[in-house]
Amino acid sequence: MHITKAVITAAGRNQRTLPLQTLTDRDGVEKSVLAILVEEAISAGIEDIAVVVAPGDEAPYAAVVGDHAGRLRFIPQTEPRGYGHAIYCAKDFVGDAPFLHLVGDHLYVSAEAQSCAQQLVAVAEAENCAVSAVQATRESLLPYYGAVGGKRVAGRKDLYEIDTVIEKPTPTEAELRLIVPGLRAGHYLCFFGMHILTPAVMEILESRIKNHESRIGGSANQRITLSEALAVLATREKYLALEERALRYDVGVKYGLLIAQLALALSGSDREDVLTRLVELLATRALGRNA
Amino acid sequence: MSSRLIDIITAGDPNARNSSLDAFCRAASLAELLDECAALEAFRRASDNLYERVRALFFLYAIHRFHLPEKPDLTGFGKPVRSTLIPYDGYTHLLQRRFEEAIDCFLALQTAHGPSDSISSALAEAYHRLGFQTLADQVRRSVRSVRGNQWMFRTGHPADHPLRVRRELLQRSGEGLFPVLHEATPVRMDLSHSGWSDIFFLGMDFPEGARVLNVSIDLAVHGRDPAPRPPVEAYLRVIDEPLLRLVSVDLGAVAEITNLAEVFDYARDYLGLLKAAIIAAGIIPPGMEGSGERLQDLLARLVGSGRGLELVSQVNGIPKGSRLAVSTSLLACLIAVCMRATGQTQALTGMLQEHERRLVAARAILGEWLAGSGGGWQDSGGVWPGMKLITGQLAGPDDPEYGVSRGRLLPGHHIMGEDEVPAATRARLQDSLVLVHGGMAQDVGPILEMVTEKYLLRSEAEWSGRQKAMRIYDEIVGLLQRGDVRGIGDATTRNFFDPIQTIIPWANNLYTTTVIDRVRAAFGDDFWGFWMLGGMSGGGMGFIFEPARRVEAQARLHATMLATKRELENALPFAMEPVVYDFAINARGTFAELRADVEALMSPAYYTLMVPALLKRERYALTLARRAELDRFGAACRTDPALSGMMQTLFDRIIPRADHEDTAHRDLDALLDELGFDRIQHEQIRADLHSGRIGLAQNRLPASTVIEDVYPSDVANLEAGSWKLEARSWKLEAGSWKLEAGSWKLDPASSIQYPVSSIQLGQQALHEGRVAVVTLAAGVGSRWTHGAGVVKALNPFCKLGGKHRSFIEVHLAKSRRVGQMAGAPIPHIITTSYLTHEPIRDFLAQRDNYGYTGPLHFSPGRAVGLRLIPTARDLRFAWEEMPQQLLDEQAQKVRESLHAALIGWAQQMGESSDYRDNLPQQCLHPVGHWFEIPNLLKNGVLARLLEERPQLEVLMMHNIDTVGADVDPALLGAHLDSGAAMTVEVITRRVEDRGGGLARVDGHLRLIEGLALPQEEDEFKLSYYNSNTMWISIGKLLDLFGLTRADLRDAAKIDAAVRAVAARMPTYITLKDVKKRWGHGQEDVFPVAQFEKLWGDMTALPGMDCRYVIVPRMRGQQLKEPAQLDGWLRDGSAAYVEGLCEWA
Repeated sequence: MHITKAVITAAGRNQRTLPLQTLTDRDGVEKSVLAILVEEAISAGIEDIAVVVAPGDEAPYAAVVGDHAGRLRFIPQTEPRGYGHAIYCAKDFVGDAPFLHLVGDHLYVSAEAQSCAQQLVAVAEAENCAVSAVQATRESLLPYYGAVGGKRVAGRKDLYEIDTVIEKPTPTEAELRLIVPGLRAGHYLCFFGMHILTPAVMEILESRIKNHESRIGGSANQRITLSEALAVLATREKYLALEERALRYDVGVKYGLLIAQLALALSGSDREDVLTRLVELLATRALGRNA
Repeated sequence: MSSRLIDIITAGDPNARNSSLDAFCRAASLAELLDECAALEAFRRASDNLYERVRALFFLYAIHRFHLPEKPDLTGFGKPVRSTLIPYDGYTHLLQRRFEEAIDCFLALQTAHGPSDSISSALAEAYHRLGFQTLADQVRRSVRSVRGNQWMFRTGHPADHPLRVRRELLQRSGEGLFPVLHEATPVRMDLSHSGWSDIFFLGMDFPEGARVLNVSIDLAVHGRDPAPRPPVEAYLRVIDEPLLRLVSVDLGAVAEITNLAEVFDYARDYLGLLKAAIIAAGIIPPGMEGSGERLQDLLARLVGSGRGLELVSQVNGIPKGSRLAVSTSLLACLIAVCMRATGQTQALTGMLQEHERRLVAARAILGEWLAGSGGGWQDSGGVWPGMKLITGQLAGPDDPEYGVSRGRLLPGHHIMGEDEVPAATRARLQDSLVLVHGGMAQDVGPILEMVTEKYLLRSEAEWSGRQKAMRIYDEIVGLLQRGDVRGIGDATTRNFFDPIQTIIPWANNLYTTTVIDRVRAAFGDDFWGFWMLGGMSGGGMGFIFEPARRVEAQARLHATMLATKRELENALPFAMEPVVYDFAINARGTFAELRADVEALMSPAYYTLMVPALLKRERYALTLARRAELDRFGAACRTDPALSGMMQTLFDRIIPRADHEDTAHRDLDALLDELGFDRIQHEQIRADLHSGRIGLAQNRLPASTVIEDVYPSDVANLEAGSWKLEARSWKLEAGSWKLEAGSWKLDPASSIQYPVSSIQLGQQALHEGRVAVVTLAAGVGSRWTHGAGVVKALNPFCKLGGKHRSFIEVHLAKSRRVGQMAGAPIPHIITTSYLTHEPIRDFLAQRDNYGYTGPLHFSPGRAVGLRLIPTARDLRFAWEEMPQQLLDEQAQKVRESLHAALIGWAQQMGESSDYRDNLPQQCLHPVGHWFEIPNLLKNGVLARLLEERPQLEVLMMHNIDTVGADVDPALLGAHLDSGAAMTVEVITRRVEDRGGGLARVDGHLRLIEGLALPQEEDEFKLSYYNSNTMWISIGKLLDLFGLTRADLRDAAKIDAAVRAVAARMPTYITLKDVKKRWGHGQEDVFPVAQFEKLWGDMTALPGMDCRYVIVPRMRGQQLKEPAQLDGWLRDGSAAYVEGLCEWA
């Protein structure tokens, strides 16, 4: 398996401006969120990138990716029919090749020399199968993520063979069905927002979308999640989860952008400078309050 | 150490493992049994296996309770008296549930002083409780560790709460109404009753034997409801207030909870079950208890800021005690609706999936434990559809029980399809079966404990009964598959009369037997069978008929039950009028639907309860959703035919019809006048109680009083060992009186003996008619039925001589026998009170005095008291300062919450004010048995008796529940010989004998009541317990009252004499439980204060010359609680009493 394509989803109607936000990257250069994501993909050897967007967002997005614009293809999602459907919009782009998938509102900060995407691509190529990046997450955060259950791959501490996928499970369901040996009590493997997917995912999405359309008379009210397709994938073919030690930042939540910026700055070349200013800030704010 | 019993416990071979303990113990000597006990004790401490430990504990219990006391060389007799005292420390350990410490303490004493009956009784108690505690702990651990439940115990902060209410429930209608999620659940009916095999402990140890055939049914009360429907319902919706509103429509209770701690306060109101459901469903996870967090923060996370939840329960008129698991079904229904609402099930509406049903069942077990109640594992069977086989499952490697117990906590469910039980058979079953509620509502808890105990002991008869029940189960399943309903009737009848009653005789009662006999007489061959539902009979029951006669049978059965209830309602605890149900098999199990937009309303009954209060508030004070709801409800009332009568119902509720309470008050006042209630004395007592001059604390003697045990020479010993009762050959001489002294076996080893001449003296006195029996039956025996107001004397408590016998019948049968042996009938006097007089008189008249041919007199009571609301001070004293039995952790929490609620009730009702809020009979109380002997003087009964038989010299007075006491010539002779005014029978104390005893009080030998002891521990210095059987010399008694026989016709003189002696007797304030019944078989128990004077205090009078004699336990023991009955039957006491009786 050789992975050269990536799909970034950024069509969420309430997060259209997120990929446009500008941050200072680890190397001290100002970039948009989208550009940082694109670079993450490129670092992993990706050559062609599709960005699924809400109609009309193509031009502003193209404007913020700088030199990488040439590698990008924008695919509009004409109706807001859910996350799974957004990925499916890139079906023609990926064809029958495996692809890297990233979500447009997350940033990933690796703790190691290899970027997250590099690690994921390496595993997928070595194991020749779909791989999702996951992280052990406390059960109180289950309402926000898709989660997986499965067994550890023999000889690997960070690799799991997935047998179950549930979108935003309740802890009740998680305890019953998402059993993963070796995790701390009350922790589950939740999606990290980064996957290597095989063309089978597109097939599954297609059949589900058609199924929905036939059931509800063509109306597009029903939202398709990626997790439901991945749950089917796990029953069809080998599907692994790589436990990431990296950190991810959701830029779509309150202070999300600020925290992501701090995380980038504190793990990059300007660390000392930012840290000093941060300490100063803390000191003066504390003084101000005491005064 | 080699041990036969350990071999039995650890045996791999089922035959060896299922060997009976009794068989071994009967043959073993005392020394062998003690060696076995030592080995078992070491074994149970060392074993890691739950069931090895538990079985060893129950073996130890049974050896100490039943087998050691039977060994002739284990007796307190001939040993220093002190060696038999039970240490107070050990007793305190028992109360505080420190069972291991208690066992250590008692064993140390046994090692130091040798074994004794008293220490064995204490050890038996400790082992028994530790056994059940160990089992309960395991069930609790298993419930917590069931996958899907664990996270709830970890979640301790609102920020960690992982559940969210489903989006569908947050979508308001255009008017602003939130949708209502409605869940309806059938109840379960157990068609097989395979020997209570659904008890958790049984299923976990013997999964192969734990099997039931369980059917989900809808119900309607015949003649009242139009058609069967699911008996329990729950409603849930989002509300726009940050609180939790809990509503029980059938109990009329509403609470708006804004505080997290209140959710965990189960007994505060009638909403304990709803709270348990909220917690067990994870809406408020159990891990939140005591977290100090704010409920509104949690709700904000769960439902959204400023919002809350409303949960409503409704039972559709099905009374309590139906034996159809209504409360577990309701709990499961509530849990299911809560789980659906928070996305813990896949579907918001419709049926549940199998793994979801299992989880609901597991959560229901958790909820029952939280609310301090309990049920069997089949009780949430209504969650499943139709007919199913529920069977115990062996624990596998993935189960938390694996390696701990053989079986899993949760059983497996197999739903029987139409291929197994065709639709025609189901219809035929519905056409043949008449389901009823007989009206009795009893606590089955003790029965379930007995079943567990007997299973663990593998007692021979019971174990073979269990095998039989298992075969009948197989037979019933086969018959069902073949469609043979008549055969099922035959099998369930055999099941009831054979294995069920072999295992637990108390499953049957006189009411059930009578109804079955009458139905059989009326329907002959068309009555196909009887079928007991649930833990015991008398409540929910099934009768199977030829389908053509079912409709007729429904009507006649109802009439039969009503008539039988009328005959027995003073003798047995009925909670309600009997009802007949219509039923239908429910093929869906628990089922939910979402009512949105114009249909987003609760049930009509909900609005009947809630609307009056809402109308009293200004419209602007209601939330937007409430206003919209009222508008919607108003519109529906005008247009929806289903709500056509609603306006009238609401009107009646807002402006109630004539008040029933007023009538009740008038009845009570009339009754008080009629009974000669002494208002002046009552006012005095009330004022004294209110001011604190009298009260529980004031019952006690001054702290400086010296309480000591008696000296050996203070008591004569007639305990087993000194003489034997077996050789009563004088019975053979009945008719022609002869003294047969040689037939009494006297033990030459005893140091204190009655001379043979005493026995001859007694026999002579009997023959000459110089003795009469006085049976005290004025009280109702509050403990016997927990304040149900039943006349204990008439309670047919046990089958003796092949029939259910009441206490009175037993006493008369003993007098008949002694009278026949003596060749002279014994006069028998039954003392009564306003509560018991008419019921006893009528009951005996209907039964021709049980064929008693000797003189029988009633001595009606002449004193009555009016119960009082207790003071908070006395309630606190009783619950907080007196040593109390601590309950299992969760049950204790529930009890403390109940106590707080009851103290609140007393304060709200007015401390020390008259208790009037109940049926008139329940507001009155008899004033203690001291008055019953003076009553004989006052009401002329003694005078008449003495005129009839001037030779009468002695009265043998005894309690109604001292069933072993008869007119024994040895004791009578001893009393006559001593010349004493009164001879008191005492027994060697066992751990359960509480309430004072024989003591030296400041050096003076007398009886002392437990509530008069200056300190609780004083009781543990006393070797002997008062059996309250006393031989009273009439002449000496009259002397004490300053009367002569001639004065017995002078009422004024008697009154003055009685008043003078009464003034010297202490008055005790006591708390008694009284039941208040309401709704459909609901019962509340309230503590009420009353006063009493007790006869035992006569021994403290200086002029009263008393003697004390130790008698065998079987003679002197009293039956205070039904839970004692099983042990009483098994330890030979029942056989002993049967041996004293001559039935008519």
